[in-house]
Amino acid sequence: MKKLFKVLSAIAAAAVILSITACSKKEQTKSSSTGVISYSQVELGKTGTEISATIKLLTHRTDMLQSSYTGVTFAKYLEEFNKLYPNIKVEIEGITDYASIALLRLQGGDWGDIMMIPAIDKKELKNYFVSFGDLKTMEKQIKFATNWEYENQVYGIPSTGNAQGVLYNKKVFKQAGITKLPKTTDEFIQALKLIKEKTNAIPLYTNYAAGWTMGAWDAYLGGSATGDADYMNNVLLHTKNPFKNYNDGTHAYAVYKVLYDAAANKLIEDDYTTTDWEGCKGMINRGEIGTMVLGSWAFTQMQGAGPNPDDIGYMSFPITINGKQYASAGPDYCFGINAKASETNKNAAMIFVKWFTEKSGFAYNEGGIPISAEDNNYPAAYAAFSENNVAFVSDNPAAAGESDLFNALNSESELNINAGGNLKVQQIIEHAANGTKSFDAIMEEWNAAWSKAQTSEGVEIKY
Amino acid sequence: MNIRKINLRYSKWVIILAFITLPLFLLFTFTYLPFGEMVTYSFYKMKYIGERTFVGLKNYKDLFTRDDIFNSLKLSLYYMGGSVVQLVLALLLATLLSFKTKLGNLFKGILFFPFLINGIAIGFIFKFFFTHGFVFDTVLSWVGFPVESLPYWLKTQGLNNVSLVGTSVWRYLGQNMVLFIGAIMSVDSELYEAAELDGASKVQQFFHIILPSIKTIVTLNIILSITGSLSAFEPPFVITKGANGTGTYFIIMDQVAHTSQKVGLASAMAVFLLLIIFVVTIIQKLVLKYAFRNADTGSGKGDIL
Repeated sequence: MKKLFKVLSAIAAAAVILSITACSKKEQTKSSSTGVISYSQVELGKTGTEISATIKLLTHRTDMLQSSYTGVTFAKYLEEFNKLYPNIKVEIEGITDYASIALLRLQGGDWGDIMMIPAIDKKELKNYFVSFGDLKTMEKQIKFATNWEYENQVYGIPSTGNAQGVLYNKKVFKQAGITKLPKTTDEFIQALKLIKEKTNAIPLYTNYAAGWTMGAWDAYLGGSATGDADYMNNVLLHTKNPFKNYNDGTHAYAVYKVLYDAAANKLIEDDYTTTDWEGCKGMINRGEIGTMVLGSWAFTQMQGAGPNPDDIGYMSFPITINGKQYASAGPDYCFGINAKASETNKNAAMIFVKWFTEKSGFAYNEGGIPISAEDNNYPAAYAAFSENNVAFVSDNPAAAGESDLFNALNSESELNINAGGNLKVQQIIEHAANGTKSFDAIMEEWNAAWSKAQTSEGVEIKY
Repeated sequence: MNIRKINLRYSKWVIILAFITLPLFLLFTFTYLPFGEMVTYSFYKMKYIGERTFVGLKNYKDLFTRDDIFNSLKLSLYYMGGSVVQLVLALLLATLLSFKTKLGNLFKGILFFPFLINGIAIGFIFKFFFTHGFVFDTVLSWVGFPVESLPYWLKTQGLNNVSLVGTSVWRYLGQNMVLFIGAIMSVDSELYEAAELDGASKVQQFFHIILPSIKTIVTLNIILSITGSLSAFEPPFVITKGANGTGTYFIIMDQVAHTSQKVGLASAMAVFLLLIIFVVTIIQKLVLKYAFRNADTGSGKGDIL
């Protein structure tokens, strides 16, 4: 009996201990916001040299963690950073499939100190992230300050900026006899047809199988297709049937029609279901691909993928509005600092983010738009833009009180514009290649879904 | 009863309860509790973070008005067909390999190996396997099919589901086979001798000795295969991401939950799938009970479910 009692109590104790260890969280020190330095106050090299901390950064750039990366790796950046701040150690965790995993980590709570802010509602920002400063101050410090701004506080600093355009191979264009860069969608399809006739290259490589490369087409329906800085976050939300045919080669209809026509006329790869993202970089470098529709961040990657970096060119999306071309420019993933981190860690993180934005040269190295407000050192990718007088259009934020309306409409309609809506664009290729649905019918469906979402959210139709 | 007997019964129960506590606790925390929460979610309109609004049965009503959900359930039929092929092949191979055959262990190893490969790796392998002009096409061309006449395994709608089902069968065939081998080996070898003496052929031995003896395992495998077909996720997700008409129910649920962030609707979909599985399992049990009604194992053991 005594023995049994001993055994029983041991088991009960084990059960209790196991449940406690399973449920325990690390002690969170409450941090006072008054002690945290703001972004504009940080003077690199002077502020915070006494801070000793180890901070953790979550990143989507898993390629930069490998030593095989052709550009500048994270290890090199950290080496430079530690020359200035030897006592701040930065641990970096790379996450593949970043968009959905980051949301789960955010919900879980204990994720580190800095992360790239995923697609959340703006009103949730202050619950999870530290404010870098108020809007007026931040607009003098960085570009695209309004991207993660809510109630006059800025919560996210872009790691780099992208402009939306089209990658092309200069040699393939020359071989096909294309002398001027296409400026309208019709000219573009003509150019693709020339490439198919006169060269062996695939005119337009869609990268269908990767999924996200298809959702990337959504970025073009704002500034690039309309020239209007208010379109993406304001006009689109209040437009009736935004995917209708405007009959002038502009707006979303024109953008997706390029994809549909290319697929229907067999100007894309033969078997789009088995495209190879990593392989395509080498292919465009070697002249086996004519064009690819991707943001400017891809430029340096394509250059580095083979022996012909000078053959890679970047042009604006072929839409002309009243005789002028526009390119949407916007921030890439933005840094956010954990609101629940300790005060020391928050300060260390603030210093690291400022260094990365102003001194690391990350944006330039990655072929992106430099973020620091006074930095106008644009990399080579944008050469064609300045030659052709392409104007950069940065999307204005949503109207007051409507900051999360876009998310709500995206979710309700399931179109997920610029938010992972890969399937809808993939279906354009499927219907075009198999001849199962006309382009107008597809746009009708999207219009119907958008209208239904607008009704359900009680949105006023203004345009 | 004397004191010692009472103590013995008491202590027996106490030990049983003590050992069951921990597993039951884990089961509750990691299975029943989250499931209960999910059922609650299905009555709300919500995202992962942020406010939740109670909408009652609206999510369930929306479910029935969507045609993409019912189309995806039709895809389960492909997977069910595949699982029938898988079971038949597994039974056949298991029967062959249960008895002494040359290089028997080598074959068992080769057939079981695919089960050990990680799902994502399989996704990569098979994307290249099915690429036009690559592995599969090259092998077929050796056997005499010219490459140009071969279809696009993943591009052609309809055929792509067959390709994916093929991948799934390749993966799980070995595991099924090993389970069956284990069951067949438990059959008393004296029965075979007695049957041979009576003049029974190998085929007759299979249907009248082996099959009834392993009916529990076969029933279990059939039920698992059917529920697995209804909730097929990994092969389409890793190979085609559910595009081009390969999006099964589970994949649509994942899209709705993680991309469109309609957690309430996705939870309703999950509950609906559970109900379908319940119904299908009950139907299966009744059908199989009827099919095996004359099987007498002689050991008096009942069904495990």
